[in-house]
Amino acid sequence: MANVQGRLQRCFAAVFPSLTADEIAQASPQTVAAWDSVASVTLFAIVEEEFGLEIDVQDMKDLVSFKSLLNYLQRECGGAASS
Amino acid sequence: MKLIEALELVRQDVSDGASPFRVSLVCSFTPAHLQTFLHAYLRHELPTSSIAITPGLYGDFWGTLARVENESPDAAVLLLEWSDLDPRLGLRSLGLWTPAALDEILINAKARLRQLAETLQRLTAAGVPAAVSFPTLPLPPISYTPTWRASSFELAMRSELAGAVLRVAQLRNVGVVNAQRLEQLSPLAHRFDIKSELASGFPYKLPHASTLASLVARLVQPPPPKKGLITDLDDTLWSGILGEVGADGVSWDLEHHSFMHAAYQKMLHALSEAGVLLGVASKNDAALANVALSRGDMILPRKVVFPVEAHWGPKSESVGKILKAWNIGADAVVFIDDSPMELAEVQAAYPQVTCLPFPKDDPHAIAELLSTLRDLFGKSFLSEEDAIRRDSILQAQSFVEETAGHGEVSEEFLKAAEAEITLSFAKEPFDPRALELLNKTNQFNLNGRRYTEKEWLQLVHDPAAILLIVSYKDKYGPLGKIAVLAGRLTGRVLQVEAWVMSCRAFSRRIEHRCLEELFERFQLEEIVCDFTPTAKNGPTRDFLTDILGHKPASPSHLSRELFATNRRATFHQILELTNG
Repeated sequence: MANVQGRLQRCFAAVFPSLTADEIAQASPQTVAAWDSVASVTLFAIVEEEFGLEIDVQDMKDLVSFKSLLNYLQRECGGAASS
Repeated sequence: MKLIEALELVRQDVSDGASPFRVSLVCSFTPAHLQTFLHAYLRHELPTSSIAITPGLYGDFWGTLARVENESPDAAVLLLEWSDLDPRLGLRSLGLWTPAALDEILINAKARLRQLAETLQRLTAAGVPAAVSFPTLPLPPISYTPTWRASSFELAMRSELAGAVLRVAQLRNVGVVNAQRLEQLSPLAHRFDIKSELASGFPYKLPHASTLASLVARLVQPPPPKKGLITDLDDTLWSGILGEVGADGVSWDLEHHSFMHAAYQKMLHALSEAGVLLGVASKNDAALANVALSRGDMILPRKVVFPVEAHWGPKSESVGKILKAWNIGADAVVFIDDSPMELAEVQAAYPQVTCLPFPKDDPHAIAELLSTLRDLFGKSFLSEEDAIRRDSILQAQSFVEETAGHGEVSEEFLKAAEAEITLSFAKEPFDPRALELLNKTNQFNLNGRRYTEKEWLQLVHDPAAILLIVSYKDKYGPLGKIAVLAGRLTGRVLQVEAWVMSCRAFSRRIEHRCLEELFERFQLEEIVCDFTPTAKNGPTRDFLTDILGHKPASPSHLSRELFATNRRATFHQILELTNG
């Protein structure tokens, strides 16, 4: 699980390079000014590529924070996310 | 490259003083990740530049292309897709796919392709290089035929496209993505991301975006082609061990299941004809190696291989001798051997040499090696100099042998050489060889400065600019265009900003003759050289030290009187003088 969290943190750091680790853990469009539609598209693309999965368009609208994405990935990938 | 790696690379700090490199990105889709990948690959190819990519508006390929003409970027990247030829060829358009529409779509496509070629012609004439990708996505099922049957509409469309690709590819300074190479790296079935296209207007799957961006980046900034290839003999140039089976026992034919060695020889021959230097480094008896190399059925002619270092000493020693004979840097050379140990030994001695294994009994791997060689030695055009390079190296060897022991060619030898120089001061038409020489010469290079075509045209089109292109030949043969000098004239002072001379032309006092001609032709009082020392331009430094009487400064001032005192006698006949 820690592996999933670390990899997701790297994804967020690539899209939002100015955020600290603590800020990433709390990140959402409300806390990150740079989190616009372009950032969302990039973030989802990076996460899909990193974890080797395809996020359903219907799920995307609920995945609007680091925590919700982490929960989603932990659910989808379990403890053995692909690398 | 993965998207996360591309983003991380793009966000790394650029060094202070990095020169800007502006790219106009012309595409009608949301550039999104394609732009990120392109930025990352260009960053890789241009590590000392600050890359700035300007995309156009969504859905407006043609408007963006028209604006690029005014932006005058350092490079333009055009990513054309079917929907740019007619919106009905895109999945997002609501235009109808009726049989009646097909003729009209074809007419529109023809007009758009003509418009593309005309715009690119104007753009590149202004010195803006362009990299172009023609439709990479599948055509939608627009025709009335089943998908397994080629429709006359699709065939006509592809025929028009093929004609346009050829016209565009023949334009100077335009590079077109090789569709076959793209297909190998990114199969057609794995390119189109319909979900992303509908959700965000970005039509490419990430691997396809990455692959396409990497090819385009190499078109924008091609890696410098290697200049020389050193090959092993046994189980590389041919199959078999010469010392065991003799000159008649080695093979490269179907009968002995060794035909891929013939394919390798064929590739080396082709490279040689394109100006690549070929040498041999082999642990063998020299006489026996020569007998085998001279066999009448060899595909690689004996005369194109020079030097042949066949002895029992270390391969690195052979490579060193060959580099010296060619007078080129180790970073411009590829070494091929079937022995991992020999490759490692050479690599340790010459880390800059590209060492490649010759795969044993693996036709697929050998075919891959041949493609790799094309990539390493590939050029966008062949010049006259490419055709005479090999002979001129042999010719230069006469001078090298003459200088052995005392470091300088004797005046008797120079007098007897029957040297003829052609000096051209013409600024038009644009000579790609001059720019090529400028951008690949290291040793006799005033300051190591590299120029884009646009920068070069800006310099030579300055009314105060002087451009001198020098060709040389003597009784040993022609060297072709071997020197370029450019500067700006203010009164009777010439400020030289660029000056290069091919290493093949050293020891002939051509540099002295260039200065002499400039002093006389323009009645100069002084020549100011924008000298900057680099890691490789020692020969330039030595020449300036000789002519100035002291170590060169940045810049270095050479007065008419000082030149008259320190110049060496020259014995060239000026054959022709073309005016600017």
